[in-house]
Formats: sequence, structure tokens, C-alpha cells
Amino acid sequence: MIELTLQTLSFLAAALLVIIGMAGMLYLDNLIKKLIAFTLLSDGVNLALVSLGYVQGGIVPILEPGASLSDFPNEAALIFGPGIVLTNIVIGVSTTAILAALIVILYKRYGTLKASKVLKGEHE
Amino acid sequence: MNETITNLWSIPLLIVIPILTAIVVNLLYNRGRAIRAVSIASAAVLLVISLVSPYGFQWFTGQPGVTYDGTYTFNANVFSWKLSLEYYYGPLQQIMISVMSFLLLFVVAISTKSLKKNFGPYIALMFLTYLSAAAIMMVNDFYHLWIAVEIGSLLVAGLVAASGGGAAQKAALKYTFFSALSGSGLAIALALILGITGYANITDAINSVRINDLSGMYNVLYVSFAFLMLSWIYAGGLAPIHPLKSDVYRSAYPHATVMLQTQSKLTLVAIGLVLLRMFGTLPFAREAMLSISILTMVIGIVMALIQTDFRWILAYLIVSHSGLVTVGISLGTFRGIVGGLFQAVNDVIYMSLLLVCCEMVLYFGRGTSIKFSGGLAKRAPLLTVFVILGTLAASGVPPFNGFQSELILIQAALEQGLPEVAAVILMVSVSTFIALFRAIYSIFLRPGDELQQGSERFKLPGTTLMFLVALVAITLVLGIYPQLALNFLTESALKVVFVPWVP
Repeated sequence: MIELTLQTLSFLAAALLVIIGMAGMLYLDNLIKKLIAFTLLSDGVNLALVSLGYVQGGIVPILEPGASLSDFPNEAALIFGPGIVLTNIVIGVSTTAILAALIVILYKRYGTLKASKVLKGEHE
Repeated sequence: MNETITNLWSIPLLIVIPILTAIVVNLLYNRGRAIRAVSIASAAVLLVISLVSPYGFQWFTGQPGVTYDGTYTFNANVFSWKLSLEYYYGPLQQIMISVMSFLLLFVVAISTKSLKKNFGPYIALMFLTYLSAAAIMMVNDFYHLWIAVEIGSLLVAGLVAASGGGAAQKAALKYTFFSALSGSGLAIALALILGITGYANITDAINSVRINDLSGMYNVLYVSFAFLMLSWIYAGGLAPIHPLKSDVYRSAYPHATVMLQTQSKLTLVAIGLVLLRMFGTLPFAREAMLSISILTMVIGIVMALIQTDFRWILAYLIVSHSGLVTVGISLGTFRGIVGGLFQAVNDVIYMSLLLVCCEMVLYFGRGTSIKFSGGLAKRAPLLTVFVILGTLAASGVPPFNGFQSELILIQAALEQGLPEVAAVILMVSVSTFIALFRAIYSIFLRPGDELQQGSERFKLPGTTLMFLVALVAITLVLGIYPQLALNFLTESALKVVFVPWVP
């Protein structure tokens, strides 16, 4: 039986966000809604990455003078996950901006936001 | 021992020069001559740097090694450093980046001549695409690999969208949506690998996986393998993502597709080698990679055979030949890896030759549909010769370069006891010839209708002619003297197979 710790709950929430986001991207027909679904997916991944670094009862991963070096690796929260999140947020914003720009251009060209209409007829 | 870490001068230049050029040409915006001068000069400098650079590392961070003997002692000796974020420039990187720099030089020269206005941002995207591919090729840490792949995906979308037209924008939109899935997957893979090994550095992580007993972590290893493979499939355009990538190849200007396909091949090589080195010993990992590669080759070539447009045929052939690159890497043997790497080099060269020929067909105002065109051979005989030579090289006909790499791949498959794989490689070669010759016959050799006939001969622009001659020369030289490239590649393959701790 999996223990429902804060970390487990956090992973579950992340998985839920990823699944909702992925389903939205695949099944919603409106391009703006697809974009929103992408941001949910991105948030889910970020939450998963932050949760990876969680250590129950842990300390901030800064080695201060006088701190015990032998305990530090076991107590300090893992820093790299949240570090990746910072980059992932930047990448997510860039991707969202490009997607939004493309959606605007395609809306001007086709007059609709329906993916089924905008994206049809590939082999012109 | 007082070893010091010496950073290689050329690695930052290969990254910074494209960025600075992108900024400058973007600011120049529509000043055609200035953009042309700046971009050609930058591309030439990049080519020279990639050719003359010695081999070495560029370190961004690293943590000092810690030894525990009751108390923790920090040892600043270079050999006890756990290298973290680093770039490496070796023989493999040299040949790949040199070829890409050469292609960039001519692509920039052609595009700045053929495009009419406001092409500063477009050329900027071209340089940034080069940057992302060079970074993917040189990185030796998962963090930079992830960032470079993500940036590369966005740049592909940007370059395709900038090619204009509804089809290009639609292709860019679809590609960007899927890049979100793949990028997120790569981030999770990175986090899981960090969690298991504690290292962001690829070589350190591989050593950790090989040295430590991780049998209890197999499920996590497989999940990270799956996510890393997802990004490999996506960034390289392997099956089942091939419709998106072929759409991208077909929608961009053919000269832009030269850079896009080069970026894809470099990404396939870089991530493929990481997958092989890190997960190659896991049960079924190489089999999974091999299956995807074979599927890509077969689907790509079948789709190429049924297309009725030269651009679509080339797009699917690029996808199919990506499978040839990955099949060699997936075999995991010395000969297989050498064949895969050599195929990557050859592939970008002969596909570039065919793409530039395709661009010239469009330049002469002719359609690329094989249903409604014909008679171009009479008016552009030189172009016809080039496209036939490109077809022979792509089909693996001696004495062109494609023959040498495909022969090595077939030998590698037979050595591994996989005659089926050898048969598929052979089938791809033959089918490539059929698919391309069908298009050549329809566009160049078949008598055209009266409207398309004329007495005036089409003249190839000087820069394009130089590019085509250079590409044909390289295909012939590498076909006759394959050792010129193999000397670089065998060293890298040996390191992957026998000395896994060296990147």
C-alpha cells in the first residue's frame, strides 16, 4: 500500500494535470483550449519536478558554516528539480508565445479557431 | 597533482557567433546587402573555426570531488572533479559541425540572394537552428541537451512558419504542439536520471548506471529510457511522428529544409548515442530502438513511393533515411555505429544536393508535381545532371558516398545475424532510386506540354552552381575515399563501444 505522504499527493496532482493537459491537447477542437491544455500539461510536469526534490523534514540545500557535512546529503532538499523547473517555465512561456502567434495568424487566414477546420487539407 | 581545467576556445565561439549574427541580422531587418555580407562572413568564420579547432572541453560548472574519511575533504584535483555541465568537441563533433557549417554558408548565400525583402529575422532563425544543432552535438550534460532540443524544436517551427503560406503555418503549429509533449518528456527523463544517479553530466550518469547495481531501479530506468526515446523520436522525426516532420520538411523552403534535415540528423546521432551508452545494456532497449528505426525506414520509403510531388517525395525520403542512421546506432556494434554516423554525414550531403535541385525547379517557375510537369531537361540540362547524380548518391550506387555507408550498415546487420535488417536497408536503397527516378522522369525527362516548352535555356545562379558542384564533389570524394570521414568516425565509435566514460 502506497503511503499518502505530501510527496505522493503532489505526484498524484501532477499526474492528474499531465493527463488532463494531454487529453485536452489531443481531443479538444478549439485551438485556444488546446493552448490552455498545454499550459496545464506544462504545470503538471513542473509540479512533478518540484515534488522530486522534496525531502520530508528536510532543510534548504545551502551548506552554512558549522553545518554537519555528514547529515547534509540526507537532510537537504534536492535542488536540481526546482532548478529545472525555472528553465521549464521559460521554455513553456516561449512555446506558449509561439503557439499563440501561430494561432492568431491562422485565425486571420481561416477565420476560425476550430482545429478540425484549420488543420485539414494537408496535401494541397 | 596540480592539474588545471583548460577550456577550449572554439566551443564558446561556435555558440556565441551564431547568436550575435542572429541579433545583428535581425536588427538589419531588410537591408539586404548588409545582411548578406554579415551572414556569409559569419558562416565562413564558423566553418573555419569548426575545421581548425583542436579537441577539448568547455566546463560551465562542476563540483569538487569529496572523499570521506571520517570528515569530508574537498579535493580540487581535476581528476576528482565531478564534471557537471560541459561541452565536448571531438572528432565526431568536428566532422558533423564542419559539414553543417559548410551547408550553412551556402544556404545563407542562396537564401539572401533569392529572398526579396525583410529576411533579416529569417536568416536569424537559420543561424539559431545551426546553434541548436551544434549545441546538441557538443553537450555532455542532460540539462543543456534538454534546453538545446527544446530551442531546436521552437526554431524548426519558426523557420517553417517564416517560409510563409497556410500549409507552412499549419505544419509549424502541429509541430509546436507536439514539441510540448516531447519536451516535457525529456524534462522528466532528466529528473529521473538525476534522481537515480545524482549526475546531470551524461558521462558521469552513464558511469553511475554501469558501475552501480541498479537492478532494483529497472522500472525507473525504463521510464526514463522511454521519455528520452520519445524526444529522440520527436526531434529526429522517426515513426510514428514522421507525418509531422515530413510535413515540416515539405512546407519549408527547400534551402531551409537543408538546415532542418541537418539539425534532425545531428539530433538523432547525439541522442541516439546517449540512449545507446546509457541504456544499451538494458534488456530490450536496443531492440526497441531498432524496431523504431526499421519502422521509420519502411514507412518513410512506402510513403515516398506513393507521393506525387517532388517535395513530398524528398520529405519522406529524408524521414526514411533517418531510419538508416538510427538503425546503425541501434545495432550498437562498432561497425553499426560507424555505419550510422557515416550515413548521417552522407545523408545530409546528398539530400542537400537534391533539395537544392528542388529549389531550382521552383526557381525556374516550374511546379514540383509529377503529374503536371515535364520537359525541364531540355531547358535545364545541367540541373538534370545534378539531380540524377544526387539520386544515384541517395540510392547507394557506387562510386558515391551513399554506397559506402549503406554497405557498412548491411555488413553490420549481417554480422549481428540480422539478414532481415540488411534486406530492409537494401530495399530502402532500391526504393529510393525508384521514388526519385519517377519524379525525375516526370519533371525533367518526360516531354512537357507546349505551354511549358520554350527555346530559352534556364541558367543556374552562380552561387547555386558552386554549391551543387561542391556537393557532388564531396559525394564522389567520400565515395571513393571513405577513410577521409571514417578516420573521424571510427575513433568516436570506438569510444562509445570500448571506452564508455569518454564522451
